[in-house]
Order: sequence, then structure tokens, then C-alpha cells
Amino acid sequence: MLCCALLTLVANAAPLRIVTTFYPLQIATLNITSNAADVVVSNLTPPTSGCLHDYQLTPADLARLAHADVLIINGGGLESFLEKARRTAPRAKVIEASAGIELLAGNPHVWVSPELAARQAENIGAALAKLDAQNAELYRRNAAAYAARLRALTEKMRAGLKGVAARQIITLHEAFPYFAREFGFTIAGVVEREPGAAPDARELADTIKLVREQQVRAIFVEPQYPTRSAEAIARATGAKIATLDPAVTGPVSAEAYLQIMENNLAELQRVLK
Amino acid sequence: MNLWHQLIGSLPGEWAQLEFMRLALLAVLLAAPLYAVLGCLVVNSRMAFFSEAIGHAALTGVALGTLAGLADPTPAVLLFSALLALVIAWLRRQSAVSSDTIIGLVMAGAVALGVVLLSRGGGFNRYTHFLIGDILTIAPGELARLAALALATLLVWGLLFNKLFLATLHPVLARSRGVNVWAVEALCSVVIALVVAMSIAWIGLLVINSLLILPAAAARNLARSTAAHLAWALLFSFLAGVAGLLISFYAATATGATIVLAALLLFLLTLPFRRH
Repeated sequence: MLCCALLTLVANAAPLRIVTTFYPLQIATLNITSNAADVVVSNLTPPTSGCLHDYQLTPADLARLAHADVLIINGGGLESFLEKARRTAPRAKVIEASAGIELLAGNPHVWVSPELAARQAENIGAALAKLDAQNAELYRRNAAAYAARLRALTEKMRAGLKGVAARQIITLHEAFPYFAREFGFTIAGVVEREPGAAPDARELADTIKLVREQQVRAIFVEPQYPTRSAEAIARATGAKIATLDPAVTGPVSAEAYLQIMENNLAELQRVLK
Repeated sequence: MNLWHQLIGSLPGEWAQLEFMRLALLAVLLAAPLYAVLGCLVVNSRMAFFSEAIGHAALTGVALGTLAGLADPTPAVLLFSALLALVIAWLRRQSAVSSDTIIGLVMAGAVALGVVLLSRGGGFNRYTHFLIGDILTIAPGELARLAALALATLLVWGLLFNKLFLATLHPVLARSRGVNVWAVEALCSVVIALVVAMSIAWIGLLVINSLLILPAAAARNLARSTAAHLAWALLFSFLAGVAGLLISFYAATATGATIVLAALLLFLLTLPFRRH
């Protein structure tokens, strides 16, 4: 009985199982595979995990990995925790979303720039089209459309941030160099060199000095991390606390990344105007 | 508060010019007598393992607070630790198993529960700041809470000192004098639990217990009387706290752990003077 059920399942379904390693790739892939037949997109890590440098795989994640046909990774060292685990998915074809994107000092947070997120979407679309001939045309079209929306957003954000006078910002961890470069900000410093680990007294004192000397207007925290250290710096310097979201957690919907960046735009305009 | 900032701000040294260092110093000075007083109690009544267990089990309090959606899990930690202290006190009375076994299994259970709850979703590393602690970012509001706790603890301790002392030294005699040994022990367990739980966000749950026991243990090496024990413990607690804070500033190390190493050094220095 059970055997029969399993057989029908295999015969009927056999969809292309695409597994993305983390949230922003999942959102991009949802856009690219929109309306595609026989495709299942799932994310390796829960959409609450945040940046993967904190991540520990659970058995459920490994099970998803083992069943993957296609594994979409960010690359740039973000998935170093996955090296061993990838042996459990020998048949999965791996797509590296950041292929061809030049890294700044080995920093993997490329998706935080909407322009580079568009490049990632194009990469994913082209690679998927090669792997799945049946839907190839659709992937290319979807990827081009989504990349166009991301580029339009980039233009909108560039225009919206043009009038902002304060150009020096401090962020919580090193997630924003690509974002800053895109929109002409300078990251004067980061609060936590190791995300999640509190800075020691020397680092804290240095950051406070930096905020005063460079007259940094705002310290940007991230919704995924505790804000105690940033608050202490704000107390000492009178700088404002604001939230800048690196788009690593959120609702699983195709519009999510665009929405997060719209919020970032509004927040930057609010505190830096 | 302004007076404090002016006073410390007039001291030499780069650290004195930084507001967060002045606040951290105040926190250390408020917490030191608390650790000294409770530390003497813990060392005398052989409760070091108990306070260690409470410190580690605070992880579960953090987990429960996080699950309940609290931005600052401290209330959950306080509640859970107090409850756990009562559970341990009760189990010790009820069970035929020895007390260290009871504490050991409650600690293991609580830590495991904390890890399980926090690792749901694979993000355990995000909570490492509770393991290391962070006294440098203490906010004025938290200092007020710490001061209130210190006051309440010293009050309870002052009122119950004689009974407590008797109950820990000679339970049978205490009972014959009409002291409710269990109630006194339970109350004292809860107070220790509250102080430990309140401090873990600042000192870190890996090392919090050593701050309780090291100054008191070092004091015991030197003291010839109960009063002297307390006095030495106070001195060592202040000394280790201030020295650790300043060393951590110049050496760029985690403050809580540096304070513990300073206290350990004091213990080692007093070891040769130990009475046999």
C-alpha cells in the first residue's frame, strides 16, 4: 500500500527541486521561477536566520539539501559552513549567484546592493535556463523583468538619496559596503566586527571617537541583531539610531526584497536629511 | 549622576573621559559588595555548585524570554532563575539523592532546554553575548535596577544574617531555636539566583559564578573571623572589579572575564597565607 503510494508520488511529481541557501536568494528565485511548471523552490535555512555566518544546520535543513536537484548559493565564502554538508547532495547542480561579481575585500554581502541583486538574478536566470530546458524561456524572461525592477529601484533610490547631506554612516556589522558604494555613502565604521559579539572597551571607545570626529549623524542597526552596543554609542555621542535592513529575513513573498529596500530608502531619508 | 560623571571625569587616564567607562565603573562598584556578601554565604554554606547551576541555567531564561517576544529577556531570566532555585531547594529536601547530583541534573536539564529552544532555527550563535556578557553598554536605567537589587539584597541579608549563619553552620541547633531552616535556605537561594540572573547580561553566564566565589574564597584564606571574612571579601571584590575593568580597557579584552582573572589572581596571591 505504502509502496504503491510512493511509486505514484515519484511517477507523477518529480518536479525540479530548487533549494536556495538563504532568504534573499529565495526571494530572487521565487521571482525567476514565477509561473514555472513542476518547480519547487525551498530555502535551506528558515527565513528568520539572518546572515549565514551565524548559522548552524539542523537535521531538517540537511534533509532538504539531500533532496535538492539544484542548489543556489550566494558564494563569496558566505556558505563556508556548507562545505561538508554539500557532500550529502552529490547530484545537486550548484549555481553561484555572485559569479562574475567582483568582491570588495572578500565581503560576500553583495545582494544588499539592489544593482548587484539584479546581477545575481540574471546569473540565476541564465544558469537555471541551462539546467531546465522546458522552462528556459520563462526563466530568462522572468529574470530580465525582475532585474529591470531592481534597476528601476536603484535609480529611484539614487535619486531619493541625492539630496542627503550626511554621507558618513556607521553600520552594525560589515553588511553594507556594496550598498554604500552604490549610493555614495562612506562606512565610517562598524559597531561589531564580529556580528553578535559585543565590542570590547577599546573598540567601543574608538567608535565613539570616530562618531564625534567625523560627525556621523546616525548609527544603523539591523533588525536581526541586538542593539545594545549601538545604543551605548548613541548615548555617548548623541547620534541617532536607525534601522537598515540587509534583507536577510522577512516574509516569503516575491515583493519582499523590493519592499525592504523601499523601507531602507525611507529610513535613510528620515535620519540623514 | 552628573556629580559622578564630573568626579570620575576629573581622574587622569583616557578611560575616565568616556561615559560608558564611568557607567561601567559605577556598575562594578554597585555589584561588588553584592558579590562579596553573597559570595561569603555561598562559600560558607558550600553552595558554589548551586550558584554555578543558576548561572548556566539562566540560558533557558534567555530562551524563554526570547520566545515570549521580549526585547530584553531579563524579566524572564529573573523569574526562571528564582523558580529554579526553589525547585532545587525543594528537590534537595524531598529526594534521597545527594544534593550535588540534584543540582547537576537540574543544571544539565536547564542548559539543554535553553540550547534546544535557542537553536530552533539554527541561530544559536546570535546569543553568544549572553555567554560573554557586556558591562560596557550598561544603560542608566539598568544601573537603577542594579542599585535597587543591591539595596534589597543587603536588606534581606542584614535582617536574616544571624538566622542564615546559624542555619548554614548548624541546622539542628537552628531548628531547636525555632528557625525555619528550609524557608531561610530557600529565601537565600532565591536571592542568590536573582543576583546571578541579573548580572549575566553584563558579566556573561560562563564566568558569573567565579565573581561570586573567588573574592570570598580569597578572603577565607586570610580571615580569622566572620567579620574579617566579609571585610576582606568586600575589598577583593572591589579590587578585582575595578582592576579588571581598567585592564580590559587597555588590553582590549572582554571585561567580565578579565575581572574574573583579576579575582583569580587575588585568590592565588592569598593562598600562601592560608590558615591550616
